Amino acid sequence: MSKPGKKPTTANPTIRLIGLGETGVKLVETLAMIAPEGVVAHSLDTDNRSLSRCHQSRTFLLGQAIPCGLGTGGDSALARAAVESDSDELAGIVDDADLVFIVAGMGGGTGTGAAPFLANLAKQAGALVVGVAATPFDCEGIQRCNQAIGGLRDLKQVADAVFHFPNQDVIQLADADLGLHRALDIANRHLCEAVLGVSRMLLEPGMLNVSFADLQSLLRDRHSLGAVVHVEATGDDRTDDAMEKLLSHPAIRGGETLKEAGSLLVNFSGAEVTMAEMNAVTSAIGDRASAARLVVGASGHGSGETLQLTVVIAHAGKLAESEQDDASLKTSPSSQASAPGYSDPFTSPRADSYLDLGSEPGSSNRGGFAYTPPAPTADALSPECRNDLIQEAAKEEPNRAKRRKIVQEMLPLEIVSKGRFENSEPTIHKGEDLDQPTYIRRGVILN
Amino acid sequence: MNGSQIIVGLEIGTSKVCVAVGEVSGGQAVNIIGLGQAKSRGVRKGEIIDVALAEEDVRNAIVEAEQVADVEIRSVFLGVTGSHIRGFNNTGVHPVVSADREITGDDIQDVIKNAKAINLPTDHSVVHVIRQHFRVDGQDGVLNPEGMLGAKIEVDVHVVSGRYNRLQNPIRLVNGLHLEVDDIASSALATSLAILGTEQKELGTLVIDLGAGVTEYAVYSAGVIKHTGVLAVGGDHVSNDLAYGLKVPLARAEQIKIEHGSALIDPGARDRKIDLSDDSLIPGRRVNLGHLQKIMSMRLQETFELIAKDIGQAGLIEYLRAGVVLSGGGARIPHITKLARDVFNLPVAIGRSSTVSGVKNALDEPEFATSVGLIKFGAFQAQAAPRRAGFGRVIRRQVAALFGR
Repeated sequence: MSKPGKKPTTANPTIRLIGLGETGVKLVETLAMIAPEGVVAHSLDTDNRSLSRCHQSRTFLLGQAIPCGLGTGGDSALARAAVESDSDELAGIVDDADLVFIVAGMGGGTGTGAAPFLANLAKQAGALVVGVAATPFDCEGIQRCNQAIGGLRDLKQVADAVFHFPNQDVIQLADADLGLHRALDIANRHLCEAVLGVSRMLLEPGMLNVSFADLQSLLRDRHSLGAVVHVEATGDDRTDDAMEKLLSHPAIRGGETLKEAGSLLVNFSGAEVTMAEMNAVTSAIGDRASAARLVVGASGHGSGETLQLTVVIAHAGKLAESEQDDASLKTSPSSQASAPGYSDPFTSPRADSYLDLGSEPGSSNRGGFAYTPPAPTADALSPECRNDLIQEAAKEEPNRAKRRKIVQEMLPLEIVSKGRFENSEPTIHKGEDLDQPTYIRRGVILN
Repeated sequence: MNGSQIIVGLEIGTSKVCVAVGEVSGGQAVNIIGLGQAKSRGVRKGEIIDVALAEEDVRNAIVEAEQVADVEIRSVFLGVTGSHIRGFNNTGVHPVVSADREITGDDIQDVIKNAKAINLPTDHSVVHVIRQHFRVDGQDGVLNPEGMLGAKIEVDVHVVSGRYNRLQNPIRLVNGLHLEVDDIASSALATSLAILGTEQKELGTLVIDLGAGVTEYAVYSAGVIKHTGVLAVGGDHVSNDLAYGLKVPLARAEQIKIEHGSALIDPGARDRKIDLSDDSLIPGRRVNLGHLQKIMSMRLQETFELIAKDIGQAGLIEYLRAGVVLSGGGARIPHITKLARDVFNLPVAIGRSSTVSGVKNALDEPEFATSVGLIKFGAFQAQAAPRRAGFGRVIRRQVAALFGR
C-alpha cells in the first residue's frame, strides 16, 4: 500500500470521496447514501448554500476569508486562492487515505480551480488519486467548455488517473429531446456507478479478489485519462445483454477505447455468475482489447438475477515524467485530435478544442471520450521526426508560460487605504509609496 | 550675555511638542533647568497641517516649561524637519591673492561665501552651511588655515536646505505666540549635538532619530557632519500599518504598539493572541501577536534598510567606526537595537544626552534629545558670535535676512 506499516490493523483500504464544487457536492451527497461502508465522503465548496444542503457527507467551506461562502462565480483563480488558503485543513482530510476520489464538475469555478490543488495535496499524502470529472454540455458555451478542458488537463497532470464523463455523451445515449433533468440524472448516474463500482470492487470480499494493489499497479503515476464503465443486465442471456450495453456505452466508442486500452480491470458482480458467462465476457473483451493487460475479478454480491459488470479502462501512459511527451503527443499525427487534455483553454478553439473532442476524421458520430495513447518512445522515432518534435516543443514554451501567468495572476481584492496619511503628501521613495504598509507592498500574507 | 544665559529649544514634533530650557553659564556647560511638553495634534510627518491646533499645543508646552524652570521664555531655538529638507555637500574655492600668500580671515570668509553659492531651486533656502574641512593647495584636513601660506584655498561644506515656505510655517507660528526665533536648526543636527560626544564624532557615527512622523539621520565622521537625511516615515506609519493589518482603530493600534510592540519577530509569539475585548465594541475581539510583530518588524526593517542604502550610496558606511546611535520615541521599541544591528552590521546603542547636565529625566529619555540638542546648538551660536565675529555674524545676518526678523 501507499504507506506500509502505517495502518496495519485495517484490512480494507481507506477510501475518501471528496466532492468539489456544486456538481461534486451533489454527486457526493448521492454517493454517500449508497456507498459501501468504509467510504468517507466529504463535501467541499466555496458556496455556503450548496453545503447547507448536505446531510450525508462531512462538509467544509473553502476560503472563508476570500469568497466568504458566496461561491466563486466561475472564477477558477479565486477558487484556487481559496483552496490554497485552506491547505492545512485539506491536508488533514486526505491524510492517511489510500484512495482518494476527487469528484468535480469541470467548467465552473470551484471544481475547475480547486481539484488540481487538492489532487496534489492527496498525492503528497501518499494516496492513489483518482479524479472523477464531468464536463459540461456543448450548449453551455465554448467558454465554459474550454475552461473545463483546462481544468481536466491540470487535474490529469497531478492525479494518477482521471475518469472523464462528458455530459454531452448522455445525448448520444438517449434521444435528443430528453428532459434536462433526466439528462443530468443519467450523467450523474454514470459517474456514481463508476465510483461505486470501483469502491465495491475493492471493499467487498470477492471470489476472485481485485485488491487495491491491483488497482494501484494499473493506475499509479500514469496520469492518464481513463474511464469506468458499469453495466447491469438481467434475464436469460444477460451476458450478451451486458456485452451489448458495454459496447454501446459512449465511453467505449464502439470498441475503439478497448482496442487502445493499456490495461483493463474487469469485475463481475452477481449472485450466480457462471464460469461460462465469465468466459464469454472476458473472451469478448479480450478479442477487442488484444493489447491490454487484463485483470479479472469476481464477487458474489448483488441480487439474484442481475449481473453487474465493472470495467476500468486505463491507458498505459508513461510513468510520471510526461512533460516532454506532452509536447510530442501533440504533434504525433495519430493523436492530433485525441489529445484534448493538452489544448490551451485560453486560446481560441482549434482543432483540438472541446467541440472537436471526440470527432476524429472519418468518425463523426463518435462519443466525446478523450483518451491519450501511449507516448512513442524517443528511440522509436526517426531523427528528423525527433527534431521536429523538439522544435515543436520549443515553440510550445512561450505559450505555456503565458497560460500559467494568466492562471496565477490575481488582482488585489481590496484597495489599500492609507489611513491617516490619506490626505497628506505621499512619501514616495523610488516610486514606492512608503505610506502603504510594508507588508502589503512586499506581498506578505498574514494567516 | 554675562553670567548665565537662558536658551530654549523648541521642537514641534509629530507626536508631541517639546520645550527644553537650558542655562548656559560661563564656558560651554549647559544645564537643563526645565522641560515642557504637550501632545501634538496639528502636525503630520513633521510638518504643520493645522496651525490653530499646533499653536495651542506649543503654547501649552511653553507654559509648562516656564513654570518648571521658573523663567520667562522670550525666544527659542526652533528645530525644523520634514520631507522637503535636503542635505548635500558642496565645495568652495578661493585663490589667495595677497602678495605674501598668507591666508587671512578675509580669505576664509570668501571661500566660505563661494561654497555657499549653491544653485538651489528658487523656492528653496539654506538652513545650515556647516564647514567640514579646508584644503590648502591640495593639502587635506586643515582645520583652520588662518595664518598658513598657500595659493589656493578650498573648503568642503555640508549644506542643509529646505523649501522656504514650509520652513516659514513653524517660524510664523512661534512668532504668533509673541516669541522670537533665535535661529532654526535641522532636527537631525540638533539630535546629534545632544547625544554624541567628541570621540564618537571623530570615530564616525550614524545618528538615527526615530520620530513619530519622520526619521532623520546624520553621519558624523572625522569630527564633522558628512551627511544628513530625512525620511518621511516614522512611528505613525507603524501605527497605521497595524491599524490596517489588524483591523483596529488607529488609536487602539497606537496603544497596542506601545504595549505589545517589538522590532523583532518572537517565534514564541506566533500563535499568541492579544485580547482587545475590554474596550472593543466586539466582545472577544483578539488579534494575533505574531501578525503584529511581523507588520512592525517589516516596517522598521525597511526604514533601516532605506537609510543603510542611502548611507551606502554616499560611501560612508565604512566610516562608522563608532556604530549607530538611536534616539527618538522609536528607540523605545523593544529589540530595536538588535534589528538595527542586523541591518547595519554595526554596534548599535540608544543615545543619551550625555553631553549636558541637568534634569535627569530629560537626559534619559530619547524623545528629548532634539530639544536638548537645540539648546546646545544655541549655546554654540551664542559662543561663536563674539569669538569669530565675521563668520558668526554672516550666518546670523543671513538667517535674519531669510526669515525676515
